[in-house]
Amino acid sequence: MSASAARRKPSILGASGRQNRLPSPYPWLMPVILVMGLFYLYPVIDVFRYAFTDLTLLGGEGHYTLSTFGNVLRRPELAQILWVTFVFTAGSVIGQQVIGLAIALVVVRAEKRRLFGTTILRTTALVAWVVPGIAGGIIWKMLFNEAPFGGLNSLLRLMGMAPVQWLSDPDIAMWSVVLSNIWRGTAFSMVVMYAALKAIDPTLYEAAEMDGATARQKLAFVTLPQLRPAILVNMILITIQTLNTFDAIIALSGGGPGRATEVLSLYTFNVVFRNYDLAAGSVLSILMLAISLGLALVYAAFLPKEDRS
Amino acid sequence: MKRRRRDRLGDILSYAFMALMFVFFSWPLIWLLSMALRTRKEVFLGVARLIPKSPTLDNFVAVLTSSQFLVYLVNALKLSCLSAVGCLIVAAPAAYAFSRFDFKGKGLWMLGILAFQMISPLVIMVPLYRYMSRLGLIDGHFGTTMVYIALGVPVVTWLLKGYMDGIPRSLDEAALIDGCSRLSVFVRIILPLSTPGVASAFIITVIAGWSQFLVPFLLITKDSLVPIGVGIFQYAGTQNASTIQILAAACLISVVPAIVAFLALQRLILSAMTAGAVKG
Amino acid sequence: MKTTLFTALAAATALGCLPAIAEDLITSDRVGPSDAPNKMVFRMTGDGPSSTDPTWAAGYTKLYTDFINNHPGWQLELQMMTGDISQEQARMLEQAKAGHAPDCAAVDSFVLPLFKAAGVLKSLSPYFSKEEIAELFPFVRDGVTGKDGQIYAWWWSTDLRVLYRNTEIVPDAPETWADAKAAALASVKAGMEGMLFNGSRYEGTTFDWLGNFWGQGGKLVDEAGKPVFADAANRDKFVKAVDYYRDLVESGAAPKRVATIGNYDDFNAAATAGSTALFVGGNWQYRQLQNAMEPEEFAKWSFSMLPGITADQRSTGTGGWTVAAFSSDPKKVEMCAALTREVYMGPANALQEQLPTRADLYDKYDVFKSEANQTFAKALKVGEARPGVLVYPEISNQIQIMMGKVLTGAESTEAAVDEAFKASLDAYARL
Repeated sequence: MSASAARRKPSILGASGRQNRLPSPYPWLMPVILVMGLFYLYPVIDVFRYAFTDLTLLGGEGHYTLSTFGNVLRRPELAQILWVTFVFTAGSVIGQQVIGLAIALVVVRAEKRRLFGTTILRTTALVAWVVPGIAGGIIWKMLFNEAPFGGLNSLLRLMGMAPVQWLSDPDIAMWSVVLSNIWRGTAFSMVVMYAALKAIDPTLYEAAEMDGATARQKLAFVTLPQLRPAILVNMILITIQTLNTFDAIIALSGGGPGRATEVLSLYTFNVVFRNYDLAAGSVLSILMLAISLGLALVYAAFLPKEDRS
Repeated sequence: MKRRRRDRLGDILSYAFMALMFVFFSWPLIWLLSMALRTRKEVFLGVARLIPKSPTLDNFVAVLTSSQFLVYLVNALKLSCLSAVGCLIVAAPAAYAFSRFDFKGKGLWMLGILAFQMISPLVIMVPLYRYMSRLGLIDGHFGTTMVYIALGVPVVTWLLKGYMDGIPRSLDEAALIDGCSRLSVFVRIILPLSTPGVASAFIITVIAGWSQFLVPFLLITKDSLVPIGVGIFQYAGTQNASTIQILAAACLISVVPAIVAFLALQRLILSAMTAGAVKG
Repeated sequence: MKTTLFTALAAATALGCLPAIAEDLITSDRVGPSDAPNKMVFRMTGDGPSSTDPTWAAGYTKLYTDFINNHPGWQLELQMMTGDISQEQARMLEQAKAGHAPDCAAVDSFVLPLFKAAGVLKSLSPYFSKEEIAELFPFVRDGVTGKDGQIYAWWWSTDLRVLYRNTEIVPDAPETWADAKAAALASVKAGMEGMLFNGSRYEGTTFDWLGNFWGQGGKLVDEAGKPVFADAANRDKFVKAVDYYRDLVESGAAPKRVATIGNYDDFNAAATAGSTALFVGGNWQYRQLQNAMEPEEFAKWSFSMLPGITADQRSTGTGGWTVAAFSSDPKKVEMCAALTREVYMGPANALQEQLPTRADLYDKYDVFKSEANQTFAKALKVGEARPGVLVYPEISNQIQIMMGKVLTGAESTEAAVDEAFKASLDAYARL
């Protein structure tokens, strides 16, 4: 065990493996290429094509034009939409990552100490995650209902506290939506973090313990550095998921009051399905793609060297 | 002595944290259950009737008899499991290649695959529908499954690549020197060692498939083929129909099979994960 | 692979055995014998055998059974529709263009213009007599008639908005906005939440409120379909109508939470819970309130026409559902018309107490002679339907956004109205 661990570092860059064979990766990538190419690529290309037209959902062939891009990007509401999207995404991603990691750490510790209740906590979080988006919106709408019998306000009243304007105050509404998204999405991060924690080589902890490291030092110098790639990949994935989230928001607040919770994906939805503007919707989805790609590159810059290539 | 005291303090903090998190995650579900068990008269009594005075199962009966909920559930299970298996089959070799081979443009390939994930299914919807209807794949589970797979592949590829990176290359190399082919290294060594990753990727795809809404909404119109994500929306949809307590029961029913599957699978997943950890 | 098997097993155990489906004449997705040679696909709302109201479900089951017995050799495949109408209509439009539309479908009256414009509907004129068409209310007839004078759908039910009140707390029907505000403030004093109405991102927010604008003679769009609601002639009326709602919230006559309400069920909930004494709702809610309340509670509730800026400047929004045919097979179009005639045009109105669209039907069925339904019928006379133009959904969307900004005090009424107007004009220019 320890021998293989010791040999690990040099062998990654070692020449022996490469000299053996230099296999072509393409047979291995073939299934992915086939499935994506056959079932997804064509529509994606069409989206790019649509962005350069003035197509609507109502039919007609439309004409090729460059003006859609300018028209969409100059819309006065776009700045606010992007700000709302930023707050929603940052809040959700940070919340899910931090809570997901914390739960994973505590669960792993609790399992080691044979504490009671890890299974039930994990299962509850997982259940929140399987709730379909629309149903999640319905549930939180019941909770945030500001009528005297609403799920949270009736609880506050029972405890003698003032009711909160969960969704009717534009400043609070955003955080209510973020809260519901954290509730629903944290389990994903928890699963990823849990598996990554379990995969950390136990000999590293043994070594740290021999050096007399405290729990906090072990966390800072062993666990977190070892988790770094997993955390970054997880952040990339949940950022993309969050940017694309709209079903839960549409059921919860519809983007209101006003535009207070209208994120970019919901805005795109409204443009396509209320305005029937397929071309503008395509431009917006390319904008969304550009934002995701940009963020992914930023995250990737923090990946350890050998993962970057 | 000191260490034991610190452990005990840690235990207390762990319990406190777990309790807090449990309340956060379970409160909406408890509320939902409470609503689903209430009669129409008790629905508006708020938290004061968290435990209904006269709990009733009528709401569940109403949901299960007045619609095809069971069929929706079976459809969702079929679609999500098939697509999860498909996803793993498609993504695992690619993940292996990304983890082990050095080739030109690897980073671009990986980013390219991820970029698919970044395109909102929202807008793809319209061209996707036109394309699938040209292929004649509307109103069937095959086409829908393939689209689920395409949607799931990027995440799975990235996750599996991450886990495979954690498996020492020395193991491959030793096997290669022993004369194994790449394929048998992959099947006999890498795959078994990545069980924890495969298990979590499997769960993640099943759940993503379970809550899919847009794709099946678009590609499936036959009521007997519709999965739960769409079914519950249809159920909640009619203007005259929805009443809170029945909707709550419907939401609850939509997650029950998943809960059962989790509880049943948890042991399996756990043992797979720990097995992987020991070996790694 | 093992895990899949396991999941499948777990699922099988979890679900138990599915109930064996015997050859019933009506299942949840089929009406008629499954081996009948002719099949028509019908996409429907909850107005059918799968209604969640047991009485209605039973009534529809009987209507459908009679219908299918009258048409041997046919079966209907039923598809359910989701609640998000804009998404649903976009999907149906796409399906129609790809040749995958249902043969026959329920279409919300306000999206009918879209389908007419897209040219995907089949004429129903051959199947309805001139007299029947002449009996339709004018706004209904205009709504279903295409440019060529043919009718492309049958609009079978209509609805309208009224002001509900608990007569114990608000004894007299408010006639004007000032009356309504005073009554709402009085109800707040009596411990109620105040007046409730839809105010979130929801079609009902626009539609329920529009009566206040229309009552003053305001126009949303001109003859050509161009938005004019905040031009020189209309802006003042529009702003006044918005300020009416704004004032209700700011004076405390309506709770702040109206900015989150986007569902008529919330009113039923509040009324049943006894937390409100006034709300702007739809006529169909009268029956729902009756179902939800104790009889002695329900007896306290009444309704009246929406108040106006003055007592004689009143209006209300009217909507409703139509049935339209998509099939290119004339036999199926005929079947679709027959279904409309034998199930929906009349019998379904009577069953659900959904207001008919033909004046003569109010005399034919006794249920519409009730005092409540007579009042509704009277209010229908000042009813106005949403303009049948392509830009309407975006106008509505902009009004919803504006309402959110105004009701939460985020922006001045004038600024919010001007923004909504400009955005609507931009959308009009793009379409």
